[in-house]
Amino acid sequence: MQRLLVLGMLYLGVRLVHPLGVGGHGSEALLAFGFLILAAYTSGELADSARLPRIVGYLLAGVLFGPSVLGIVGSDATRQLAPVGSLAIALIAFLAGAELRWSELRERGRAIATILTAELAITFVALAGLLIAMREHVPFLAGEPLATVLGFSILFAAIAIVHSPAVTMALLTETRARGPVARTTLGVVLVSDVVVIVLFSAAVALARALVPPTGENVAGVSLLGVVWELTGALLVGGILGGAVALYLRLVQRQLILFVVLVAFFGVEVARLTHVETLLTLLTAGFVAENVSRRADGSALRHAVERSGAPVFVVFFALAGAAMSLADVRQVWPLVIPIVLVRAGGIWLGCRAGSWWGRVPAPAGRFVWMGLISQAGVAIGLATVIAEVYPVRGALLRTLFLATLAVNQTLGPILFRLALARSGEIPDGTGAGEPVEPNAAPGGAEALARG
Amino acid sequence: MSASLAFVLVVALAYLAAHLAVDRLARRFLIVSGAEYLLLGILLGPRVSGILSADVVRSFAPLTTLALGWIGAVVGLQLDLRELVRTRGVMFRLAFLESLLTFLVVSGVEAAAVAWLYGLPVENALLPGAALGGIAVASSSRAVDVVAERQLGVERPALLQFKVSVLVNSVFAVLAFGLLASVWHPSVPVRGRAITATEWMVITIAIGAVGGVLFHLFVRDERNVDRLFVALGGGIILVSGAATYAGLSPILAALVFGALLVNTSANRAELAAALARVERPLYLVLLVFAGAAWRPSARPWLWVIPVLLFLAARVFAKVGASRLVARANGMLPILGPDWGRGLVGQGGLALAIALNYVYQDGGTLPYFVFTAAIASVLLTDLLSARLIESVVNGLVRRIEVD
Repeated sequence: MQRLLVLGMLYLGVRLVHPLGVGGHGSEALLAFGFLILAAYTSGELADSARLPRIVGYLLAGVLFGPSVLGIVGSDATRQLAPVGSLAIALIAFLAGAELRWSELRERGRAIATILTAELAITFVALAGLLIAMREHVPFLAGEPLATVLGFSILFAAIAIVHSPAVTMALLTETRARGPVARTTLGVVLVSDVVVIVLFSAAVALARALVPPTGENVAGVSLLGVVWELTGALLVGGILGGAVALYLRLVQRQLILFVVLVAFFGVEVARLTHVETLLTLLTAGFVAENVSRRADGSALRHAVERSGAPVFVVFFALAGAAMSLADVRQVWPLVIPIVLVRAGGIWLGCRAGSWWGRVPAPAGRFVWMGLISQAGVAIGLATVIAEVYPVRGALLRTLFLATLAVNQTLGPILFRLALARSGEIPDGTGAGEPVEPNAAPGGAEALARG
Repeated sequence: MSASLAFVLVVALAYLAAHLAVDRLARRFLIVSGAEYLLLGILLGPRVSGILSADVVRSFAPLTTLALGWIGAVVGLQLDLRELVRTRGVMFRLAFLESLLTFLVVSGVEAAAVAWLYGLPVENALLPGAALGGIAVASSSRAVDVVAERQLGVERPALLQFKVSVLVNSVFAVLAFGLLASVWHPSVPVRGRAITATEWMVITIAIGAVGGVLFHLFVRDERNVDRLFVALGGGIILVSGAATYAGLSPILAALVFGALLVNTSANRAELAAALARVERPLYLVLLVFAGAAWRPSARPWLWVIPVLLFLAARVFAKVGASRLVARANGMLPILGPDWGRGLVGQGGLALAIALNYVYQDGGTLPYFVFTAAIASVLLTDLLSARLIESVVNGLVRRIEVD
């Protein structure tokens, strides 16, 4: 009740300030930023008391106060806060990379590879097949020749199979789960990001062969470019990670400020060198963690979590604010079958992959629930399609964002349920997987746990 | 250069400078860091090298506005009534009277100079004059901390007076500027009538107070520094954003917010720790971007005279007013005739107020006011700790001789 009162007072306070506005000097963005931090944080607490993941609260706060509903955080403010989103994605990728240990990858490599292969293949085929089957009801496919239907179905499936490292990392820091379901899900999600980028590049090349783009918007995807985007990311990320490890060994001061700078720097260097940003930061985190001494790596992860705490809250709230309820309503009848088929494909793929790789029961049974969330790189890929095919690509993006809205809300709930049912969430009673001894609760973790 | 890369370079440079050179200089030679970041900003800014373009500087306005709020909250957090009531009343009296006299002298001199040189009517010259008066009151707080560290915890009466004076100077300067921002506020009609200056002042204080109340409801008895940091950061961002959005002073609103928190929270130590976490980086960013935001005049000679007058009037007012109020209150034997020299140093707060003046819509001669503040900080900040220590040690020697 008190939290609802806080939300109400916050809303009322900002509403009272609005008519007094003279604006300028980024004050609108600052006001929206401050409001979002507090409102999303409070909604996270509300979600927690309803036994839902906090990030669902953050997302719902974004939807509620965003342009679609109450409009306290307007479209301009969300645009002005875009750098916060970039920083959050960079921090998430860096943290995700730092969570992966080489020894563990070797240990779980087979399970990750088999689950990933089966899951991506089945989901991709199922989604492309569904769109082809429903083509007369899909706005950008109705009445089109088969080649166009095939091209756009492949493009849609290539982005719809993407998972969400952001949600996975947020849930793992929130629950402190470190068991086989958590680790296998994290491995699959992170490796799938790399695979999906390759798949997407191939899908765009195929779609362009089937449906040549018109006008000037044909630039972008060349084979050499894709190869550089991936190998360059590994190279740049490796150098950045090496530099971070060196800093950890020689200096190790002001780590919180340092990781924020590394995240900013990584994003900027990736942009300037035309390499994949997520993969760059992920590689940097991975190299920094695996080259450093164990204690240094732990200090680094802790610093990323602490610096990322407020940024993550705003990132998910902004993701919620960016959801257009009007768009969701418009394509709603299509969204439900797509969400169901995608979830079914993931479930079937994970079961088949687990059987193929002889993955033990808890991971084999529950990993699919951690793969439902969608975000991050997929939104960027949908934007690339809209740039190559301005009219049909924009419609495709709308449909994708509508399905993303549902998956983004359901995904964290399912993943938390999976972690709970597999007994990996430490509950203070000794149950669940033991936590690393040096992983003191702090930063995003403490924020998420309460 | 892109904004992100510029940000990384600026903070990295500032950080390197702080750790490799300036901290060592501060400890060994009593040179307090601050002015060098300002100089760095001027050199990197669009007026000199152009490494930080005007667009980049503009895109960082929200961050510098946040830094203004953060500085206000840091001042507010020092207003712990339980601590303040333990201090002798005469110390506050000295500090307040010195602040008031400095404000009146500098405001009067500058208003007259601006009216004469620019041919402005007196009522138009009052705003930049009063803004400079408020800026003149602020003294360097970091210098007192550095000297206090060097005194190894020995409580000297003069040092205690400096601590009280710097705090009162800060609050006075922030309040004076908050009042100015309310009085010279652009007209905003609400329900058919313009809001009055008094109402703007009440709104400024209300923004800080409501932020503080919300913060309480928000965190209750929270002691985890990370969670407090998110709530505190959110609160300061909201309060600064709301005040700036309404064309008011974010420093004053955040000061009220900080003062409310420190006097009503059970977790003051944790709050201070959470606030201190990013205070230094934000302060450095503020200094660098304040330097980069500086614009020289097309007719520099028109600025030189009032800026020099500001520097002279300020030193005269600080030293003269301190001596006068100490004599009037019978404190001259304890503090010495020249104790006001220790208050001559200026730091981040003066610059924050000047930058806030630049950000206010409708301010007269904003870059002249800003230049005066920059000149004062550049000339006095480096020596501020030395000045305080010379006063404190001089008094110790005098007592030993006596």
